[in-house]
Amino acid sequence: MTFLLQTLILGALVGGVYALMSSGFTLTFGVMRIINLAHPAMLVLSAYLTWWLWRRTGVDPLLAGVGICVIMYGVGWLLYRAVISRVQRIDPELTLVASFGVAVAAGGIMAFIWGTEVRTATPSYFNTSYEVGSLLIPRAQLFACAGALLLLGALYALLHGTFLGRGIRACATNRDGAALVGIDVDRMMAQTFAIGAATTGFGGAALSVLYQFVPDSHFVWIGRVLCVVILGGLGSFAGVGLGALVLGIGEALTASYFDVRWATAVPYVLIIAILVIRPQGLIRRRLRTDGALP
Amino acid sequence: MSPSAVFRPITRRRALAALTGVLTTAALAACGLSSSATEEPADSDGPLVIGMSLPLTGPVADRSKPGLEGYQYWAEEVNAKGGLLGRQVELKVLDDGFDQETAVSGYNKLISQDKVDLLLGTFSSVLNLSVAPIAERYKYLYVEPSGGADEIFARNFHYLFFAQPATSEALPNEFLDQVAKMPAADRPKTVALVQQEDPVTKQTAAIFKEKLAALGVKTVHDSTYAPDTSNFDTIANSIKQAAPELVVSGAVAGDGIALIRAFQKVKFTPKMLYQSNSPTDPTFASSIGAANTEAIFTPLAYSAAAPYAGNSEFVAGYTKKFGAAPSEDAANSYSAGQILAAAVTAVGKLDQPAMADWLHKNTVNTIVGPLSWDAAGRSQGSLLLGQFQAGKLEIVSPAAAATVQKLVYSKPGWN
Repeated sequence: MTFLLQTLILGALVGGVYALMSSGFTLTFGVMRIINLAHPAMLVLSAYLTWWLWRRTGVDPLLAGVGICVIMYGVGWLLYRAVISRVQRIDPELTLVASFGVAVAAGGIMAFIWGTEVRTATPSYFNTSYEVGSLLIPRAQLFACAGALLLLGALYALLHGTFLGRGIRACATNRDGAALVGIDVDRMMAQTFAIGAATTGFGGAALSVLYQFVPDSHFVWIGRVLCVVILGGLGSFAGVGLGALVLGIGEALTASYFDVRWATAVPYVLIIAILVIRPQGLIRRRLRTDGALP
Repeated sequence: MSPSAVFRPITRRRALAALTGVLTTAALAACGLSSSATEEPADSDGPLVIGMSLPLTGPVADRSKPGLEGYQYWAEEVNAKGGLLGRQVELKVLDDGFDQETAVSGYNKLISQDKVDLLLGTFSSVLNLSVAPIAERYKYLYVEPSGGADEIFARNFHYLFFAQPATSEALPNEFLDQVAKMPAADRPKTVALVQQEDPVTKQTAAIFKEKLAALGVKTVHDSTYAPDTSNFDTIANSIKQAAPELVVSGAVAGDGIALIRAFQKVKFTPKMLYQSNSPTDPTFASSIGAANTEAIFTPLAYSAAAPYAGNSEFVAGYTKKFGAAPSEDAANSYSAGQILAAAVTAVGKLDQPAMADWLHKNTVNTIVGPLSWDAAGRSQGSLLLGQFQAGKLEIVSPAAAATVQKLVYSKPGWN
């Protein structure tokens, strides 16, 4: 029983981290219909920035992540203006290819700057756990998970409590309608993309403490991010939370009770299963407009 | 964005635009990541071109960078001494991103299209398993710096030679000897085997399982994880549940570090911990905490302290050039170069069958010791057993190469 509970706790905490890493991706898709394959590369970039800052100054990596969010906001804005918006004008579907190109190039640039050695940040709590009875709760995972909840809460507040958020949601619902009532759609798109990129600041900080990473690590994370958002329903925040939890716990149970070898196959099995059984995702309702979506 | 823009049919122009995008991306990536030398075909007056494809990007990029540096250092040294057969040596290096198919097509291209004069091997058993047959088919001498899985040698290739002192078959020997030497009362009673899906680790795990059982050590956990595994907490928790006294961790690269970090999080310290590969990673100590390395055992194919001819010069020269002491991978490439050079020099011309014959009959002095090979290319030396003691990786066995006399049998708790 303790073993099962411990497995569930470890799985749920990993799920929190997955939710953190996927939230920006789902925002960009929900509003802009852009599948940003450079999202995991931005996570790895944030992890490198966090690690670098931690090594240089000794600042707590997870706290540094808050600052990295600001930097990544800028990176996202630049990326949108320089690449995504231009390509989108030619053909919206080309953004898929362009963002993949950006991811591959980013991997090369990061290897050039930081080398190909395995990196990881090791603050004092990286390998310690809280003991609750006979259960162990790894501190780093817990902090990352709490940070993820705060960040998701902040995103929710931003989207529902500010003018910017209302603008973004208007664009998500009906872009032409939003333009008709005077919303600057292009500006909203840039803001959305930049906010999506900003979330990778904290996600990357968590990655730098919880995992080791190399410039090409984003190829591992793309599968999990895609699984989380497809599972939850593309564009849905609650879906991201649920999808991440299902994936985290699914991986943990598979490794503990079935076969460790199959744990990394869980995301792909889940993607196939959900596409066959409930293509709109766990949370998202099938909308009348779905038929008209690109 | 008007809705009609979204519904444009796929025209030839749009398809062409998409294709151009993909190709440009691929081309950009290729330019950025591969470092091929000149495009001129090899000729007998120009430089002697040696081709290779290495996993410079991808999951084992951290290990192959020093591997490439070992080759580069060797080539520079050869050139400074007048080259091979009076010709300067030039390396033609392709990147395969740790993908079998890419490595195979890379070596195919090097041989049939670029017509390189000689080959040097790539890294890992996974890649060498599929590359060695290419060299064999074209009758090219193929000295590989890593890839000791027996599957590679079981095919009895004539042109294949291993540049490390011994293949995976011999990997567990030194550690098993130490366990056998322990008084029966101190000897661990249970073992957990945990390894990455890989030809070498699977083979060595099977050997460990069988030979430890003969010593009365019972296997209480045995699991194999996929190469792209990143969550080790649940694996560590399962091992903790089995409560083994000895853990034999068949790691390939950074995975061993992640496993130890997970052990720390779930508060599990085995009495003895043996791990392959990861402990020789330069970032090992900083990634798990320097104090936590104490008493961890690891097999070594190379030691900077080993008293073999040319080793101290190699260590000094390499450290001066690259700013860090050579890793095992750097040393293995360098010795692969030494073996190739010995064969070329002894035969006196680029005659691949004659060079292979010569290597089968002779012993070559390298920085990892004198090497000779059996008919299938398995090297006939023995590996070293290392153990971290007071923050330093010491050699504990065999006695002739040992840097310390005492072993630490009981691992202290995590810090």
